[in-house]
Amino acid sequence: MADAAVTSPAGAPTRARYGSMSRDRRWALRWSYFFLILFAIFFLTPPIYMFITSLKTSQEISAEINPWWVFNPTLNNYITLLTQNIFLKFFLNSAIVAVCTVTITMCISVIAAFSLARMKFWGSATLATGVFLTYLVPETLLFIPLFKMFAWVNETLGIQLMNNWWTLIILYPTLTVPFCTWIMIGYFASIPKELDEAALIDGATWIQTLTKIFIPVALPGIIAATIFCFTVSWAQFLYPLAFTTSTSELVLPVGIITTLIKGDVFNWGQIMTGALLGAAPPLIIYAFLMDYYIAGLTAGATKG
Amino acid sequence: MADITVRSASIGSPDSRSSLHKLMQRKSTIAFLMALPLILLITVLVAYPAGYAVYLAMLNKSMTKFVWFKNFDFLFTRDTFWMVVYQSCLFAITAVIFKALIGFIVAHFVHNIPSKGQRKWRGMLLVPWVIPPAMSTLAWLWLFDPSYSAFNWLLQPFGLGPIPWLGETGWARFSVILVNVWVGAPFFMIMYLAALKSVPEQLYEAAAIDGATWWQRIWYVTLPMMRNIIAITALFSTIVTFANFDIVRVLTKGDPLNTTHLFGTWAFRLGIESNDIPLGSAVSLFMVPILAVAAVFILRDITKRGSEV
Amino acid sequence: MASRKVTRRFVAKTAAASTALIAAPFVSGVHAAGKLTLGLWDHWVPDANKASQALIDEWAAKEKVEVTVDYITSQGNKLLLTIAAESQARSGHDILALSTWLPAAYQEQLVPMNDIVDPLIKQNGAVNGTVEYLGKVGGQWLGVPATIGSQLKGPVSRIDLMKKHAGIDIQELYPAGAPPKADSWTLDAFLKAAEACHKGGVPFGIGLGTTSDSVDSVGAFFLSFGAELVNAKGEITVKTDKVKQAMEYMKKLVAFLPPDAASWDDASNNKWLVSGKGALIMNPPSAWAVAKRDAPQIAEQCWHHGFPAGPAGRFGPFLPFYWTTWKFSKNASAAKSLLTHLSSPSAVEKMVVASGGYDIPAFANLTTLKVWAEESPPKGGLYHYPNPHNHQILSIAAAPAPHKIAQQIYTQGVQTQMVVRYATGQPLEKVLDWASSEIEGFMRT
Repeated sequence: MADAAVTSPAGAPTRARYGSMSRDRRWALRWSYFFLILFAIFFLTPPIYMFITSLKTSQEISAEINPWWVFNPTLNNYITLLTQNIFLKFFLNSAIVAVCTVTITMCISVIAAFSLARMKFWGSATLATGVFLTYLVPETLLFIPLFKMFAWVNETLGIQLMNNWWTLIILYPTLTVPFCTWIMIGYFASIPKELDEAALIDGATWIQTLTKIFIPVALPGIIAATIFCFTVSWAQFLYPLAFTTSTSELVLPVGIITTLIKGDVFNWGQIMTGALLGAAPPLIIYAFLMDYYIAGLTAGATKG
Repeated sequence: MADITVRSASIGSPDSRSSLHKLMQRKSTIAFLMALPLILLITVLVAYPAGYAVYLAMLNKSMTKFVWFKNFDFLFTRDTFWMVVYQSCLFAITAVIFKALIGFIVAHFVHNIPSKGQRKWRGMLLVPWVIPPAMSTLAWLWLFDPSYSAFNWLLQPFGLGPIPWLGETGWARFSVILVNVWVGAPFFMIMYLAALKSVPEQLYEAAAIDGATWWQRIWYVTLPMMRNIIAITALFSTIVTFANFDIVRVLTKGDPLNTTHLFGTWAFRLGIESNDIPLGSAVSLFMVPILAVAAVFILRDITKRGSEV
Repeated sequence: MASRKVTRRFVAKTAAASTALIAAPFVSGVHAAGKLTLGLWDHWVPDANKASQALIDEWAAKEKVEVTVDYITSQGNKLLLTIAAESQARSGHDILALSTWLPAAYQEQLVPMNDIVDPLIKQNGAVNGTVEYLGKVGGQWLGVPATIGSQLKGPVSRIDLMKKHAGIDIQELYPAGAPPKADSWTLDAFLKAAEACHKGGVPFGIGLGTTSDSVDSVGAFFLSFGAELVNAKGEITVKTDKVKQAMEYMKKLVAFLPPDAASWDDASNNKWLVSGKGALIMNPPSAWAVAKRDAPQIAEQCWHHGFPAGPAGRFGPFLPFYWTTWKFSKNASAAKSLLTHLSSPSAVEKMVVASGGYDIPAFANLTTLKVWAEESPPKGGLYHYPNPHNHQILSIAAAPAPHKIAQQIYTQGVQTQMVVRYATGQPLEKVLDWASSEIEGFMRT
């Protein structure tokens, strides 16, 4: 994967050097740090406050004292959540749904993007636009028709799609495939034509061209799309809220909100704990794969 | 592969056309099959339900009669509807502009500092984008709380506040936009950072030799090079922001006086809360043409630029 | 109808006596179903869910039916969305908790429950007018009035603050264990108290948003003036003197409420009380219970009592839940059997006790249970919460309008919005014009 940056058509990421005068540079650097700290405060205040709140007892949360300080730190919220089977179930559901969604999305969109970018067929240009247009249709418009379709499926095929976590694996790709296909079309389009022509002349089939040449070359783009896809499916809220109800079927964000808020009583400490724990997997993924993400977006998005 | 040998054997002969044609046909069949899962997914789970939603939007309230465009006629007479149109545009445009601006500034500064520190900063600044928005919005709700607002606690010693973060039209709109900017700006930052890294260094060196100032370098080198990515990121973000549901739903539910409702939340209030599904669908449907117009303009601009380059 | 009822009772009795010996038609029907799913309101009191679960398990063991219960929160409209989803997808829970306007809204899809509600009324006493208005449409009971979650959003006062700032001894007006002596507790007295507490820095915490707590309280104020936006016949009566009086009163009251009340949600008033910032809120005992856990010194000073009386009477905002069964459910008979079980006096009492007195049964004979007199601190603080002396008329905002219009007035918070508009300086005529135009829009069929 180290060669990702080298093969990436846009060139290896390099740092621009502004001007040659070092005094100029030093000032630019100071200003940069100043503003970065300012923005970091803005970006990190809510998560830090979540962390502070997650360490508090409910008495302390209700008290009229400095909200930015923890007077009696406790790990009870973490212990309560992590020892509850149901919370681990949410976690597991979220993980399975996210992994399956990513797999399905990448299969569909890489193959389709290859065919749309390289092979062309009757209507392929229209389809490429159509893929983009699906992005314009909001989920809030779709969930009621989907209820009706699910009723039909249940009554004619006997498959119950409501209130099952795996239904989400069917639905989430509608949110991720358009963007991933679009980013992959951009990436594939940036690969020199000579490469696949040479492969075809050597007798490779289209599928071989895709798996042996395009996928390895486009790996940074694929990784970027995968990470994007994971983030979206991990964070989705409306579809699981609308399509799942039983606690055993819920995914993390909806599970936390629907089981820790009861009527007009919010368990703030636990909610914040759950939110932080829920944010951990994507955070870890970004921490490790950020460089690929950036490399992938550089090539895919700029050429799109 | 057999085709290829056939083709090379019969070059120049009259029947080469038909076999070439066959090859093309085969290629397009394969291509079509490869795109088929995508087509099926979009048709079954997006296009069909969207069509169904259009049908729903033309039913009467009890969903027993087809009334053509009556629901739309009705909406046009409602003040609240026009308010929602205005608010959605205000919300989306303001939020996207600030996201783009903050994203650009932050990306620029991150790009500016030595590369060994960049990872750390990038990681920190990406946090809002990574936390599921439904959860982080709850943290904001708690920060804005009328009784326990941690922001108001900070302002108190300065004799300011308490600020009704969600209680007055102006502040409520500000808060809702603020949270949206907070969630979305890191995505812009990452996209712009990616774009900045692809700007060839020689261009800056050439500009520096010409004696270009800091501002001129951004204006004449960076921005033109990033044009496409700025446009595309803005477009995607506009779409997502316009259709936003979670943030307003959690923070204000449209209060006070419906002045923070967006298409999505108002459609929910009409369709689900007031049991008028057709009217709710009609409201949701309005997002599509508005977004389509925006999309056409931005995409046309990109392709025009693309062909020039 | 009557004969079926007899069969059911007969069978239920025999089944209980000798389940192993005879396979009576009803029981076999249940066995055929084998499974029953419930979607109940997720109670904020952890033990309350356990109590209902235990009662259901008891029935399930007796009838040998596999029962699964989902506790669904009303927060974020999760319950509402579930109901809409199940109605559109034509599948879901066999028993589902629907609140306030929803039975009427899904009228066509719900199994009529007259055959079990009528006997229940005979057994447990009459239901209040609001329960009947919302649950019985066209002579048909659309659901069984539920114990779980049904609540009264009367005032909760801080004994100390009311005494100190407003000079009102709320315990004297509403003495524990005795009928209220609250003739002086009128809207005028309420307004004066609000002003005094506002001056004292502990304003009343009444929300003016569009969620149910706000709408319920403002709706009760309107009813106290006899102000109806739409009358029972479905005619718009926005521009009447009574509505104008109510608006004038509310304008005066709003001046003494917190400045951001216009976007309060159902949780805001709870926090207002628990944080000690206010002398009074309108809420069932959940706020007090949280205070008991997190801020005991405040809980000790909380007293639940009746609404102030207005020219048209004394109205307490009541929010009932119903247990309903969809027509597409294949287990309606089993569902009815379970609902009868859950509505027996002993079952009701168990649920009420487990909820710490939060749940108010719909039936008159069950509103004087010991639990409300015993819950403490302060002892007697909940005594008047379930309206034991029929001191106030239990009501719902937007009543008595036809259900489908009233539902929209309620969910879109027309009354609270009118009040906020007028209080923020819009002329009254303009506000009334706005309201009647909104309501005209609700007349769509």
